[in-house]
Amino acid sequence: MTGHERESISTGTAPWLSGVAFSVILHGLIAVLALVGWSWSGSTPPEPQPNAISARLVSPEPKPSPVVEEQDREEQRQKERERQKREEERQEAERQRQQEEQARREAERQAEAQKQREAERQRQEAQAKERAEQKAREEEAARKKAEAEAKERERRRQEEERKRQEEARRKAEEEKRRQEEQRRKEEAERKRQAEEEAERKRREAERRLREQQLEALAEKQEQEAREAERRRREAEAARAREAQMLSESQKYQGLIRERLSQAWYPPSSATEDMTARLQITLLPTGELASVKLVNSSGNTAFDNSALGAVRSLSRYPVPDNRDTFERYFRQFTIEFNPERLR
Amino acid sequence: MKRIKSMTAKRAYPRSYANPVLTLAVAFLMLAATGSARAELLIRITEGANAAIPVAVVPFAESGTMPAGDKIGSIVRSDLTMSGQFNLLAPEKMLSLPSQRSDVYFRDWRMLGQRYLLVGQVSREGDQLRARYELFDVNREQRILGETASAPASRARSLGHHISDKVYEAITGEPGVFSTRLAYVTVAGQGEDIRYRLQVSDVDGKRSKVRLESGEPILSPAWSPDGKKLAYVSFETGKPVIFVHELATGERRKVADFRGLNSAPAWSPDGKSLLMTLSRDGNAEVYKMELASGDLTRLTHHWAIDTEGSWDHSGRGIFFTSDRSGGPQIYHMERLGGEARRITFGGRYNARPRPDANGEYVYYVHQREGEFVIARTHLDNGQESIVTRTGADESPSLSPNGRLLIYATEQDGDSVLSVVSTEGGAAYSLPAAEGEVRDPAWGPITR
Amino acid sequence: MKASLSPKVIALLMAAGLFAGCSSTGEKMDEESYGSDVEAIDQDGGATVYDGTDEEGGISSSAMTEEERREAREQQQQAEQEALRDITTFYFDFDTSEIKPEARDVLVAHARYLADNPRVQVRAEGHADERGSKEYNLALGERRAKAVERFLIVNGASRGQIETISYGEEKPAVRGSGEEAWAQNRRVELKFD
Repeated sequence: MTGHERESISTGTAPWLSGVAFSVILHGLIAVLALVGWSWSGSTPPEPQPNAISARLVSPEPKPSPVVEEQDREEQRQKERERQKREEERQEAERQRQQEEQARREAERQAEAQKQREAERQRQEAQAKERAEQKAREEEAARKKAEAEAKERERRRQEEERKRQEEARRKAEEEKRRQEEQRRKEEAERKRQAEEEAERKRREAERRLREQQLEALAEKQEQEAREAERRRREAEAARAREAQMLSESQKYQGLIRERLSQAWYPPSSATEDMTARLQITLLPTGELASVKLVNSSGNTAFDNSALGAVRSLSRYPVPDNRDTFERYFRQFTIEFNPERLR
Repeated sequence: MKRIKSMTAKRAYPRSYANPVLTLAVAFLMLAATGSARAELLIRITEGANAAIPVAVVPFAESGTMPAGDKIGSIVRSDLTMSGQFNLLAPEKMLSLPSQRSDVYFRDWRMLGQRYLLVGQVSREGDQLRARYELFDVNREQRILGETASAPASRARSLGHHISDKVYEAITGEPGVFSTRLAYVTVAGQGEDIRYRLQVSDVDGKRSKVRLESGEPILSPAWSPDGKKLAYVSFETGKPVIFVHELATGERRKVADFRGLNSAPAWSPDGKSLLMTLSRDGNAEVYKMELASGDLTRLTHHWAIDTEGSWDHSGRGIFFTSDRSGGPQIYHMERLGGEARRITFGGRYNARPRPDANGEYVYYVHQREGEFVIARTHLDNGQESIVTRTGADESPSLSPNGRLLIYATEQDGDSVLSVVSTEGGAAYSLPAAEGEVRDPAWGPITR
Repeated sequence: MKASLSPKVIALLMAAGLFAGCSSTGEKMDEESYGSDVEAIDQDGGATVYDGTDEEGGISSSAMTEEERREAREQQQQAEQEALRDITTFYFDFDTSEIKPEARDVLVAHARYLADNPRVQVRAEGHADERGSKEYNLALGERRAKAVERFLIVNGASRGQIETISYGEEKPAVRGSGEEAWAQNRRVELKFD
């Protein structure tokens, strides 16, 4: 509580901080507290020493001016010593005065305590009497209450007995019902199991059938896969052969083209618009079997130059591989079409 | 069908795939081709041998007394050689000398690498020479030409040129020019004795004949389209005057004798009018004169020199030389009296345009690094290329089939007429017998 | 060495530049065919040259009458003009018809002679060198002949006295090829009856 007070003070406005006002209020408070403290039993914690408080709070003095002349310092110290002495004397007197005051207060307090103890004793007596009366009243009430309780207990017991019998009957019925149920269940279970067994057997049969089918299917699939693989390999081989044939054919196409380009003398009347197409048939030896003009350029000299070129090769460069030859060179078309003249 | 594009085609063919429809069609064909089970191979040949065609001309068998001079077979051999398109087999390399089909062993000629074989026989029947000749395709072992032709014995060369023309046409698909003629001017002598001679000869320079002789300059001979007349400029009256000269009769007519210049005659394709350069109005301009009436139409109007008019292939417009840009350049006027468009831009001197017959090129005298050569410009793309490189080249004139170009130049300090293939390669030259030869004009094909 | 030369080089270049500037202006004027010919002649004035010769002639003026002096001057001028008129061939650069500056005095002398002798007829024959196209050269020769004709007319000759003709490359003065021959063949010859 005091802490609170102090705090409220310390947070108060500036004028309240003035030392004098502060000590006056504190003294007042201490006095009140002392009175209150003494009036109650010693259960309250002892107050902090007012001395210490007063000494701490009162002591602040305005500080001497820090700026002092050198020659004045001894005089200053002398004055200070005298002032201290005076202060000590004043304090001693104050102490004596306080001790006297305290003694006086002590006497008053003891008288007052005596008075209070007397009043206490009377009050306690009255209280004891009251307590005896109260006890009698309570015993009467307790007796009445016990009676009522006994009655109540009897009623409850009967009630419980009735409930118990009721319960036993209900339980017997329940048991009977349960057994009935159990029987039905067992019956159903047996029936179910029989059915399940049949189902299981049927499924088993089915499964076996299916397995057989799957096995057959798997076998078939495997066969098919093998077949597909075989076909794929064959196709791959064929493609490889084809590619080889193609690359070989391209090689020979290039050779034929080169030979024919060297052998072809386009006539001076040839234009880039002229195209003569010839179908030629070769023997596997590369010899020319036949040549047919399938598309005339419209210019006889041009057609003749193409026919002459085709006829001029005594032997066409053809692949040794018979398949490649048959595939590409047995019969093919040659187109003469000058891209840029001269 | 499988379509395999020629791998040898390094040079892009501009037309082939330019057409998107065609490209699509080709792509479709290729798709269709790969899909079909049995794709037939197609090999495309886009380039030929860059060489002359090997031809064997067997000396013709002869019966009866032959006229003196070159034999028919030799004339044909010489003609075909001059064209620059054939490589003639030397007779001493021949394994046999057949004169008719039954004597021909094709295998021999094939072994010798020959493409075509010409055999024949000439007989004399009175005043007439009769030639029976056959042309064979050696590889196909087929006769592609066979004919009997006759001519007076005095015209044996004509018979030879006729056979050459036939053979040339059978092999190349184009008419030959061996029976055409040349006109040119020779200059001989000096000072008071100087003689200018207008001459006409076969294309091989043989059978030349003087048509006009003068102590004063003759120049710019021009053939009429029917090959019967020559127009030219003669100074015989002391100034340049245009004459038209009937070759058969020798009859001459002064057609332009105006004040100042009368020069550069050029026949219209119908032979009814002449282009000419006159300065009668004070400055050289190109005019058109109707020969029947003598009516003149002035075609150019410029303070610069406008001269050397020449009809374009369409016969509607003209090419001419003008120095309106500072130096002589070739211009084309698409319609007579229309706007003139400059054709040549290479170099500072391009003159005397001679367009070809199919409107592809115009040929002209071109100065290049101080020398004068014959160049041509492609009329579609404006690209210029050099045709001759002899260095003092002038007066270009094209053969009627456009394959040969004759021009005047110098060889080892001698004046000659030189014939080259328009596609490059020298063919032959006709040296002047004495003095100088100049101003060649290639005559038309006449039948 | 290089550094020490450079100012000289610059000076030379500047001088050359000035020269080029002058000469090119002159050429430009020449190119302005008709009018410029007249101007050029007016500037020449001819007389100034001969006056100077007269003063420094060493002839004692006091020993001669005014009449005599004039006569003598005229005689001398006439002699010089006649000497000039011995020159009747005028040369041209390739593919041009510009009269060269050195030909002017001579042509002026010819023009004066024609002016003084209205009955005299002259033929201006234009020629080209052998190079290039014959027909174009014919036109070029004519243009050269006409350039001379015009010059003579401007300087006093009358149109009726002059006839022009071009021979193109047909009548070279000198046979042969090479710039030396060509330079002599690119010409206009004046032929007096």
